[in-house]
Amino acid sequence: MNNTANNSKRIPLWAQAYFLLTLAVLAFGFHKAMTAPTEATMGNLYRVFFYHFPHTILSFVFPYLNCAASFLYLFWRSRNPARARAADAFALASAELTVLYASVGLATGMLWGRAAWGIWWAWDARLTTYLLLWLLYVSYLLLRRFSGDDPGSSNTAVLSAALAVFAAIDIPICYMSIRWWRTQHPSPVFGGGADSGIDPVFFPAVLWNMAAWLLWGAFILGLRYALERRRQRAHSDLSLHTISTPQESL
Amino acid sequence: MSLTHIPFATLAQRHLVYAYCAVWLLQFGYAAWIGLQWRKSSYIPRA
Repeated sequence: MNNTANNSKRIPLWAQAYFLLTLAVLAFGFHKAMTAPTEATMGNLYRVFFYHFPHTILSFVFPYLNCAASFLYLFWRSRNPARARAADAFALASAELTVLYASVGLATGMLWGRAAWGIWWAWDARLTTYLLLWLLYVSYLLLRRFSGDDPGSSNTAVLSAALAVFAAIDIPICYMSIRWWRTQHPSPVFGGGADSGIDPVFFPAVLWNMAAWLLWGAFILGLRYALERRRQRAHSDLSLHTISTPQESL
Repeated sequence: MSLTHIPFATLAQRHLVYAYCAVWLLQFGYAAWIGLQWRKSSYIPRA
C-alpha cells in the first residue's frame, strides 16, 4: 500500500483560507439578518427570508451546473473517458447540492408559510413545480445509488446524464411560475416588474447572506467533487490491483 | 432583536428559530457527512 498524494489527508492552504473566509461571511450574514430593522407586516418572522431566498435562488443554479456537466459527460464519454469521468463526478456533486439547497428552500418555506399563512403547504404553481424539482433530483440520486452498477460505471452515468438533461426543463418553469400565475406564493422580490422589490434598508442583509451561501455552496461543491474523484481513482486503482494480482487459490 | 435572547413564545418566533436551526442542521450535517466519507475513502489501498 502506497501512501501517495492522492491518499494524503492534507488540505491545501488556499482551501483552509477560503473555508475560514466563508465562515466569517456566514457569521456576518447572520449578524446582518438578526440586526436588520423589523418588518412592518410580519414582524421578526420575515427574517426567514434572509436564508430562504439565497437557498432557493441557488437551488436554481446548481441544476444548470448538473445539466452542463451531464452534457459534457455525454460528449466526452467516447472521445475522452478521463474528462468524462470528471464531468460525471461534477454532475453528481451538483445534483446533491441541488437536493440540499432545495430541501432547505422547502423546509424554510413551509415553516414560514405555516406561521404567515396558517398552512404548511398549498398546491400552487411555485410550490408544486419546486417540489417536482426536488423529486427529480432525488430520483437522480436514487438512480445513481441503486442502479446496481459499480461507482462511476458507464451505464449509470449515461442514464443519470439523460435524466439530468430532462430534469433541467423544470427549472425555468419553476422560476417563471410566480410571474406566469398569481397564486399563494408571493410575487417575485427581485426582477418582478414595477410592483416588486424590497425596502433598500434590507439590502445589506439580503446581499451578505446571498454571498455567504454562495461561497459555502461553492466550497461544498468543490469538496464533494474532490471526494467523488478520490472515490473514482480509488475504485479504478483497486480494479487494476485486482487484475494485476495473481489469485493464490487457483 | 437581541442576539442574547432567543424569543420562543409565539408560533412565529418558534418557526423563525426552527427555520435557522434547520438550515444549519442540513448544511453542516451534509458537510460533516462529506468529511466522514473523505476520512473513510483515504483508507482504500492503492495499487
